Amino acid sequence: MDDVATKIIEILRKHMKKPDKEITLETKLEDLEIESLDLAMIVFDIEDSFGVEIPYNANEEVDAFKTVGSVVERVRQLVKSKAAA
Amino acid sequence: MTQSNGSGSSGARRVVVTGMGAVTPVGNTVDEFWASLKAGRCGVDKIVGFDLEDLYIHIGAEVKGFDPKDRLANIKDRTLPMADRYSQFAGAAALEAMKHSGLPVPVPDPYRTACIIGSGAGGLNTLELAYRDLFIRKKKATNPLTLLRIIGSSASAHVGIEFGVRGPTFGTVSACATASHSIGLTYQFIKSGAVDVGIAGAAEAVMNYGTMKAWQALRVLSAQGCFPFAKKRNGTVLAEGAGILVLEELEHAKARGATIIAELMGFGMSSDAKDMVNPDIEGPKYAMRQALSEAKLAPSDIGYLNAHGTATSINDINETRAIKAVFEGAAKDLAISSTKSMHGHLLGAGGAIEAIASIKAITEGFVPPTIGLDEADPECDLDYVPNVGREKKVTYAMSNSFAFGGLNAVLIFGPPPA
Repeated sequence: MDDVATKIIEILRKHMKKPDKEITLETKLEDLEIESLDLAMIVFDIEDSFGVEIPYNANEEVDAFKTVGSVVERVRQLVKSKAAA
Repeated sequence: MTQSNGSGSSGARRVVVTGMGAVTPVGNTVDEFWASLKAGRCGVDKIVGFDLEDLYIHIGAEVKGFDPKDRLANIKDRTLPMADRYSQFAGAAALEAMKHSGLPVPVPDPYRTACIIGSGAGGLNTLELAYRDLFIRKKKATNPLTLLRIIGSSASAHVGIEFGVRGPTFGTVSACATASHSIGLTYQFIKSGAVDVGIAGAAEAVMNYGTMKAWQALRVLSAQGCFPFAKKRNGTVLAEGAGILVLEELEHAKARGATIIAELMGFGMSSDAKDMVNPDIEGPKYAMRQALSEAKLAPSDIGYLNAHGTATSINDINETRAIKAVFEGAAKDLAISSTKSMHGHLLGAGGAIEAIASIKAITEGFVPPTIGLDEADPECDLDYVPNVGREKKVTYAMSNSFAFGGLNAVLIFGPPPA
C-alpha cells in the first residue's frame, strides 16, 4: 500500500467505532459501520490532509465511496489533477 | 381588558388565526406567496446575494426585491431598519400580519399579548460581516449594532417594541422546527389563559458564504434543485424569509369583530432522542398523533398534509413511513405536498410559511403541488400532488416540521369555528 492508502486507512480508523477491524483496499465502507455523519467527517479529513476538494453528496450513492480502494483511487486522481493544475 | 373565559360547551379556550404575513423566495406578501404556490412557481435560482467564491453549491432560494426602506417605512421602532436581514423579514411579515388582523397598535392589552418569533440561527449574515472585518480587514472594532443584530431573540424584541407587546416575548430555537414550535407554544399560552393574543412565527436569513460552506461540508445540499419525494432528489436547497401568524383566543377575536381565518386545533411535539442527522419514525409518529388527539380528529379527517419534505434521501422516506404508520388506510387518500419544492428550505422559518400554505389550502380549497416530481422514489409511494396543484375542499390541514437533532413539531389547522 502506498502513502495515500495508508493515510486514508488511518483517517478511516480515526472515525470508526471499532477501529481495530481489518481494512484492505477491497473492504466495503458499509462493512466498516460508517454512518453518514462519520462519512462527512472522513471526507473533510481527507480533503484537509491532501489539500483537495471532493464534492461528495450524502444523498447520492457514488462508486467512489463503495470500497476503501475506490476512495483511495479517487483521492489519487484528485491529487494528480491538482499537481497538474 | 380582562381575560376572556373561552368558548365552547367544554369551556376550553380555543385559538384562532386572525392575521398572516410572509416574506418568501416566491413572494414577499402572503398573496404573492400563495399565487406562486398555486401556479407551481419555483424560487430556486443561482445565488446572487453574495460572492460564491469557491463554493461548489451555487443555488439557493433567495428573497428577491425586498426593500426594507419600503417595507419598514413609517415604523415606530427606529432600530429595525438597521437590524439584521432576518429581523427585517420578521418585521415585514409581522407588519403584514398585524394589519391583516385589524388589531390596534400599540396592542390594547400589552401584558396579555405574546410575541414569540424564533430563528434557527439568528443574525449570521451580520456575524459573518463582523468576522470578515475583524479577521480579514483587521479592523479594531465591530459595528456597535453587531451584537444586537446577531442575537436570536432580536426579531421577537424588535417586533414586540413595534407593537407595544409586554407579555411573553422571546425566540424559539429548534433548527427546522423552530417556527412550528413558536406557533405551538403561543397556542399553548393562549389555551392555558396566560395570554389572549400572540404574534408567532420565525425568520431566517443565513444565505452567506460561511453558512453555505458549513452546509456544503455536511454534504446534504443539492447542486441541482429541491425535488422532494422524487427519485432524482439529491439534497435540500437553502432558502430565507419569514412567516408570522396572529393567534387569538376565539372569544377575544369575536368580541372585537375580527375576521377569523382559521382555527389552530392541535399541536404535537416530540424528540427522537436518537441521532443528529438520521431521523426516526417514532418521534414524527408521536408528534402527529399528539396533534390529532389534541384536535380530536381522526387521521381520515385530514384533507391536506404539508410535509416537511426536505428532498434529502433519508427525510422523505422516513416521513413517508411515519405518515403511513399514523394514517394507515387513510394514507393513500391523503393529499400531501412539499411546498419546499417551490420555496426551498427556509430552515427555522419553514414551518411558519408552510403553516400559512396549510391555512390557505383550507380557505382557498386548493392543494399546492410538489413540483419537480417527474418520477417518484419507489419508497415514496403516496399522493404528493405532483407538479400541478388541485382544487380540493380541505377542512383540516396538518403541517409537519422535523428538524436536525430529531426535533419534531406538528400543527393542525381547521376552519373558523361555527
